Amino acid sequence: MVSVEHLVKRYGPRLAVDDISFEVPRGEVVGFLGPNGAGKSTTLRILAGFLGQTAGKVTVDGHDVKDDSYAARACIGYMPEAVPLYPEMRVAEYLTFRAELKGVARKERRASVDAAMEKANVTDVANVVLGNLSKGYRQRAGLADALVAKPKLLVLDEPTAGLDPNQIVEVRDVIKALGRDHTVLLSTHILSEVEASCTRVVVIDRGKLVADGPTAEIRRMRRAPALDVTVRGAEEAATAAMKKVEGVASVKRVDAPAAGADVATYRCLWTKKLADADVAQASEQIIAALVAAGCAVREAHASGGSLEDVFRELTRGAREEAEARAS
Amino acid sequence: MSGFWPIYKRELFAFFVTPLAWVLICVFLVVQGMHFDLLVEHFSNSTEVISDQTPIQAFFGNTVLLYLVLFLLVPAMTMRLFAEERRAGTIETLMTAPVSSAAVVLAKYLAALTTYVAMWAPTTLYLTILARTGDLDWHVAASSYLGVLLVGAGYLSLGILASAMTKSQFLALVMSALVILVLFIMGIAEFVTQDGTMVHDVCAYVSVWSQMNDFASGIVDLRHLAFNATLIVLPLFITTRVVDAWRWG
Repeated sequence: MVSVEHLVKRYGPRLAVDDISFEVPRGEVVGFLGPNGAGKSTTLRILAGFLGQTAGKVTVDGHDVKDDSYAARACIGYMPEAVPLYPEMRVAEYLTFRAELKGVARKERRASVDAAMEKANVTDVANVVLGNLSKGYRQRAGLADALVAKPKLLVLDEPTAGLDPNQIVEVRDVIKALGRDHTVLLSTHILSEVEASCTRVVVIDRGKLVADGPTAEIRRMRRAPALDVTVRGAEEAATAAMKKVEGVASVKRVDAPAAGADVATYRCLWTKKLADADVAQASEQIIAALVAAGCAVREAHASGGSLEDVFRELTRGAREEAEARAS
Repeated sequence: MSGFWPIYKRELFAFFVTPLAWVLICVFLVVQGMHFDLLVEHFSNSTEVISDQTPIQAFFGNTVLLYLVLFLLVPAMTMRLFAEERRAGTIETLMTAPVSSAAVVLAKYLAALTTYVAMWAPTTLYLTILARTGDLDWHVAASSYLGVLLVGAGYLSLGILASAMTKSQFLALVMSALVILVLFIMGIAEFVTQDGTMVHDVCAYVSVWSQMNDFASGIVDLRHLAFNATLIVLPLFITTRVVDAWRWG
């Protein structure tokens, strides 16, 4: 559906996107993942026809976004990051305008506006002025706009940015439902979001492609680097017991010691050699060792595994690969 | 030209659903109404017959009020066209829809021009009043309105260019007002520069004052038409190129 080949974008001397290639297969929900400033929005803007690329080739449904921009734009429903809307228009008015702009025939306009409002869940605010909408409704009105011409491809730039947890769940559900009959490309910097709604992931960092594959594959890379354990008992005994477990590289107290309290939280960092499959076993062993040492375990959970960690993992892999190829 | 109609309709909607157009039209009509009243008073009180001047001529030609009004109101009509879209970011949704830059520019321009015409439309009542009380040369009236339309269309075109060049509405207002002011002052310079010099010729050519004087006397001069056509087409063309250029920013 979308093919990006060796895409480069420069803003003056600054390289925003550096030789990125990836594909978005038809019918999939693809997450475009990266930290802030990685070049996600720039890539999506080029895809949507708002910016021109410095080099490379981008095609949407077979149409080159540069040479055949009109046809390419006609098959994309694009929702920009900030969800810009005309504050003086009402929701239904705005969607009717957008439908006409996108070339929906007069006869079908009413029906497609109603359908888009239904799908994006904004029917109850159809007559509210856009400027008065709450953030969650604005986001969904933007989604309805992206949907209104029944595009083959939906490009959503951070669709859940700035929403509260309830609204995030709502928007995610809408996106999941959309994935059934659209190809979706959505950008985000939240890993759990990708896990919740995407079938494939493209990871970029500082303008470079880091990883590209099915979500399950990326998820495997998300290995927690440490176990956090909250323990009641003597500090020396607990530390010694944990250090003895195979696979533990170091043990460090992470909470601030309070006077008179004997409860402490420790972070056990895994050694690099420890295989993913053995992490679970080693965790069990830590708890068993603590109990054997006469400590009471109150809590134990995997720490880290944040997007930053995955990035570190992924970029390190990419670098090693490049070095191997060079030598 | 795809996308022209919806954008044109939306722009008109934005003009008239917000107070902007109404405020501008009100200010304009109050000023013009007072102007007309003064003129009628002047002509009805003068004892001797002024042969080479009619109220229409005075209303459109020999007055500074017309230019003052255009100088202030036209930039206010065009300032938000592109600046506001870029500040609010709506330009992104607009330009990612299947529309051509020319259609966007033209739709916005014609919406402003329509508002401008709507602003002048009630002044035709003055003609009706004049026609009831005396003789009215309809040809002079027609050429006067043609002049007003052409001069305004040129200024609006400069205004839309200014609006495309900045994200700030205020800056767009100031820039287009300045350009209009410079054009006006150059026209005035016709009277202070020496006859026969190049500067004098240039000033005479761009002088909105003498143009309106001619139009108000029923003279439709091809040179004025050519000048105004340039003043309309050139900024519009540059605006289209500016809109295209955003893609490469």
